[in-house]
Amino acid sequence: MGKGRPFLEIFTYALDEDYRFPILEIFAFLFALGMFVFANFASYPQSGEAVAYFMVSTLGGFLILFIFVILVLKNVAYGLGSDLERGVMQTLFSYPLKRRYILTAKLLSGLGVALLLFLGIQIFGLFLLAPDVILTYPRTVFLTYAAQVCSPALLLAGLVLFFTLRVKRAGLAFVIGFVLFLAGLIISGFVPSIAYRTGSHLPLQIWAVFDPNSALQTYYSNMTAGYFPPGTWVPSFSEVLLYLGAGYLLVAVLFVVGYAYFDRRLEI
Amino acid sequence: MRWITLLGRIGTVMLMVGLALILASLIAPTSEYSGFPESISPEEYRVVDLGIYSSQTGCQISVESADNISVYLLGVSPVELDNWTAQIGEAYPGLDFWLPPSLVVPLIFASEAYPNLNETQIMDIMSDVAVLDKGLQAHPEIILWGPPPSSTFSYEFSPAEVLNIMVIIANRSPDAVDVKTRISELTAVVPKERVMLPALLLISIGIALAIPWFILRKVKKSTL
Repeated sequence: MGKGRPFLEIFTYALDEDYRFPILEIFAFLFALGMFVFANFASYPQSGEAVAYFMVSTLGGFLILFIFVILVLKNVAYGLGSDLERGVMQTLFSYPLKRRYILTAKLLSGLGVALLLFLGIQIFGLFLLAPDVILTYPRTVFLTYAAQVCSPALLLAGLVLFFTLRVKRAGLAFVIGFVLFLAGLIISGFVPSIAYRTGSHLPLQIWAVFDPNSALQTYYSNMTAGYFPPGTWVPSFSEVLLYLGAGYLLVAVLFVVGYAYFDRRLEI
Repeated sequence: MRWITLLGRIGTVMLMVGLALILASLIAPTSEYSGFPESISPEEYRVVDLGIYSSQTGCQISVESADNISVYLLGVSPVELDNWTAQIGEAYPGLDFWLPPSLVVPLIFASEAYPNLNETQIMDIMSDVAVLDKGLQAHPEIILWGPPPSSTFSYEFSPAEVLNIMVIIANRSPDAVDVKTRISELTAVVPKERVMLPALLLISIGIALAIPWFILRKVKKSTL
């Protein structure tokens, strides 16, 4: 028997567990309804690219990202945690597969399908409401979604994966993930005032690594004159790309640590 | 069996997205009102910049004046506006700062009509009705609505694509005219006419895909 069949078996099992009827349907409904209800395309005149950025941002606004984060936490923290807690993982280890493939199957279901659902509904909504935006500014649309997905969703998923494997308890891992999400929100509120009080751009630049969307937002907001007072830190486009790259590097490091821990250190 | 489950779940997701669309389209539009009176000098025009509008946001415009005036509703795509701003920056280096659309449009009209004038001269003539006429002749594609001259106007619209919307009020008479403009912004959660067909398609395909899965589930439950 090749590796494909046991991998598919585990993937199917993970899909069944992560998206029991009607969980997937409820999240799809919430994504679609929330996206349309909270989308606000009315904005002040800015450059075309900035308009595209703010449109995509309102479609994937805070509430939608919050629902997405809850889905990711449910799947990664709760799903993986309860498999460890109930001893299901031991059964999965009996499959003729390397540990990292088992984790990949679980993450593909928990994270990959959630991401597909989120982005699929978002792009569909954008095509429905503003097809010209997606066709005229595909680069801006891509970058905005890349930045939004990077943080908090993927960054949090990487952190929660590690904590879930460490604590091996579903509920606790979920709570840790939620606390980290709230901490991120609180810090993002403090960073600009710290930068203002210290007169240094460094806090904003450090935060941009954790949340590349903050750099992207500053870059596009600056396209409206008078939006920022002189002396405010505004990254150039290449700097924005650098912060986005750094953000994804951080996500990759977190997942590599999680994989390494699952592969070599996890004791069941 | 697995294929039926997979297709069934895809179907139920499509059904839910379709239902969400229908529900969103049933939410009544809200409106915000803004109005302002102003006086327009003889043979000049004013540009009222309404901002970015899309299929989600429409508006109702009412204009009243003591004398006959011309009103035009212009819609310029953000891409075109970017190009025009760049053109102005290149032609007049002194104006190479952020310009609101209410200045970009008259400047581009004036610069195209009189390409040999300098910045100061352009700024002086850009509000003339003659410049407006030449500009509108050169760019008929941006006119969304241009009724014959009158003293009262009322129009409701919602653009099919994302556009920068401007109302132009032109006073062609030799005397100043007092004008009252009233703009009500209409924000619909989802434009009904745009989402109904996709929503119905999603629901129909969703139901078609989900039915075999639901039957299978029922059969499985009854045999257990």
